[in-house]
Parts: sequence; C-alpha cells; structure tokens
Amino acid sequence: MKFECGDLERAFANPDLMTDAREHLRHCAACRDEYRIWNEISSTAKQLHQTWDSPDLWLRIHRGIEQQRPLRKRRWTQWKAAALAVAAATIAVVALLCWPQLMTFNAPTNGIRPATGSPRDFLTEQALRNVENSEAAYRRSIDELSRLAQPQLESHTVSPLVASYRERLLMLDSAIQETRSNVAQNRFNIHLQRELADLYRDKQQTLEEILTSGQRR
Amino acid sequence: MTWEVSVPLQFATALPDDPTDAELLESCKRGEIQAFERLYNLHATRMKSLAFHLLGSRDDAEDAVQETFLKVYKAVAGFESNSTVSTWMFRILINCCYDVLRKRQRLAEKPMLKEVPAQSKLTLKVALERALQTLNEQHRLVFLMFEVEGLKHSEISSVLEVPEGTSRAWLFEAKRALKQLLTQRRQVNEI
Repeated sequence: MKFECGDLERAFANPDLMTDAREHLRHCAACRDEYRIWNEISSTAKQLHQTWDSPDLWLRIHRGIEQQRPLRKRRWTQWKAAALAVAAATIAVVALLCWPQLMTFNAPTNGIRPATGSPRDFLTEQALRNVENSEAAYRRSIDELSRLAQPQLESHTVSPLVASYRERLLMLDSAIQETRSNVAQNRFNIHLQRELADLYRDKQQTLEEILTSGQRR
Repeated sequence: MTWEVSVPLQFATALPDDPTDAELLESCKRGEIQAFERLYNLHATRMKSLAFHLLGSRDDAEDAVQETFLKVYKAVAGFESNSTVSTWMFRILINCCYDVLRKRQRLAEKPMLKEVPAQSKLTLKVALERALQTLNEQHRLVFLMFEVEGLKHSEISSVLEVPEGTSRAWLFEAKRALKQLLTQRRQVNEI
C-alpha cells in the first residue's frame, strides 16, 4: 500500500500509511493544508468542553438519594432509633435507682456498718462477701507460693538479691497485716479493699521473682 | 479488684484518599453516600458537559446528571462489574439524555439549538459546534466523548457497548464529515 497525494483520509484510517503521508506533507502544500484542518478539528474540539458551577447539584442528588432510600431501610433506621431511645431510658432509670446504693458502697463509713435488713443492704453485704471470699482464696494461693519460696529464703548462703527480697516480703507482710486490721474495722471501705489487693499482688510478684531467680541459679 | 475490658471499636469504613474503581463500587453497594459524592466529584464535570452537548441546555444537563446518579443509586446493588462504574454511569447518562430528547419529540418541541453569537464569520469553534449538530448520532457521540471529554476508545467502547475498532471508525467518520463541513464553510467565506 502506498500513499498518494490527496489521500490523507485513507492515511488517517490506516496508520501504516502515516509515515509515507508525513513525508509527503513536507513537499505538498495542498495536503499540508488539509492535514492542518484535521488537526484544527481536534484542537478546537477541546474548547467545546463546558464547565460551569452547579453549587446545588450535589445537594439535589443527595436529597434525591435520601428520598429514594428503601422504605424498609428507613423503617429499620426508625426502629433502631426507637430501640436506642428505650435502652437509654432504661439505663437512666437503673442508674437512678442504683445511685444511692453505689454511694453507700463507695463512701468511707469509718467503721460504721450500714444497717442491714433492707434488700439494698443485702446486695451490699453480698458484694462484700464475694470480695472477702476472693481475698481468702487469693491469700491461700499466696501462702502456697510462700511455702514454695521458703527454702530459698531460709538458705544459709543467702545472696544480696534474696536478702533484699526477704526484706521486701517482711515489709509487705507487715503492710498486709495492718491493712487487714483496718479492713476488719471498716469492711465496706472499697479503697482499703483495693489497697489490700494491691499489696497481695506485690507479694505474689515478689515471690514469683524469688522462685524464678532460684530456678536460674 | 481491677480489670481491663477491651472492646473492639467499629468505625464506619472510610474511603481511601484515592479509591480504586472496585473500592468505590463496594462502598456504593453499601449505600455509603461518601462514595457517591466521590463519584460525583470525579465525573460530574465531564458528565454535565456531555449532557449539555446532547441536550443543548445547562439546566437540562444538570437534570440529566441528577437523574443518572439516582439511577446509579437504585441499580448499583445489582451492578455486575463487567465494566467500570464510570463507564456504566456515562452509559446511564446517555440514556437519560436520549429519554429527554424522546420526550421532547413526543411533545413536538423543536430541537433545542444552542445560542450562538450572530456573526457573519463564525469562529471555528462555533462552526464546529454547528457542524456537530448535523452529524450522525453515533459519530457525534464518539466525537464528543473522545475529542471533547477526553475519554479513551476503550472507555467509549464500554460505554456504547461496541468493539474498540468501531469506536475508532466512528470517530474517523465524524472527523471526516466535520472536515468536509468546515471546508465548505471556508470556501463560502472566501467567496
């Protein structure tokens, strides 16, 4: 296939002819003019692109989409909102009912035990009993841990590290004893209960460290 | 006495800065309005422009774009990704425009011609605009999408559901017809 003068259209339709066509354009003014028109069409076409601001078009689309949301979905959303409102109201009522109880439980009572007999007092008593049972179980576990660590603590050749552990345990035991006696006087004081739990936790950690260091040696 | 409770927090899925077509599609299918807004920001300008060339009025073009988005919202759940969301949207837009044109024909309205300045010697831009109105519908559509809105032949073929070669051939035919019209105009002006 060969390019012939005046046959630019065939060259545009057939890219194989374009190399020959370009070569021909160098010498032929008529074909060059025609080629210019073809290019002008493309370059002018770009100017036909229209842009204008439509500030409310997206809002219209958004509104339209909202209106088109299936009724089922809208009902479900309404149901969810109602359920949330009911749940929030229930929580508010429960919180209001329990608030005096919580205040009694948290406030330091200075050894004065709240009067028993009412259902609310029974709940407080029950909660306290749970804490005491947990504490007793925890204490028994720590005693067991102490028994395991005892040989290392009573060894004749005590390293400085073990000596420091021993000192720490003595300190913790004395603090535990003191706090327990405070708790016994003020069983409903949650801060004292927490303090006691923290001391037990420290003791447990110290005993675990002693046992681990013994295994390493 | 102390305890920790870790509750996995669930946040609404946020679109990435530059979401892929598939990510946008999934978000649209979940009905997330953000995804539609992103599609709007990405394509509305070209969609408005194309609709304007088909309908001849900015108001009608905006209405067609709005209608397109509502149709996309309704149908996106069932959209099978044989094409991209954008080409699918353009296809819907073109159909919306044709609906408007058909409605106009039913109401026996005269085809709306864009206002052009009254000049004895029209600029090439205006002449091209006028010449475009006389083209075969398919050729005009391909010309508008390729030359004016900058879509690729692969995209146009997906929008019009024709082979890519057909899209190229239609563009060539459109340009050939336009060249003839513009050459005639030049000859007339020279006379």
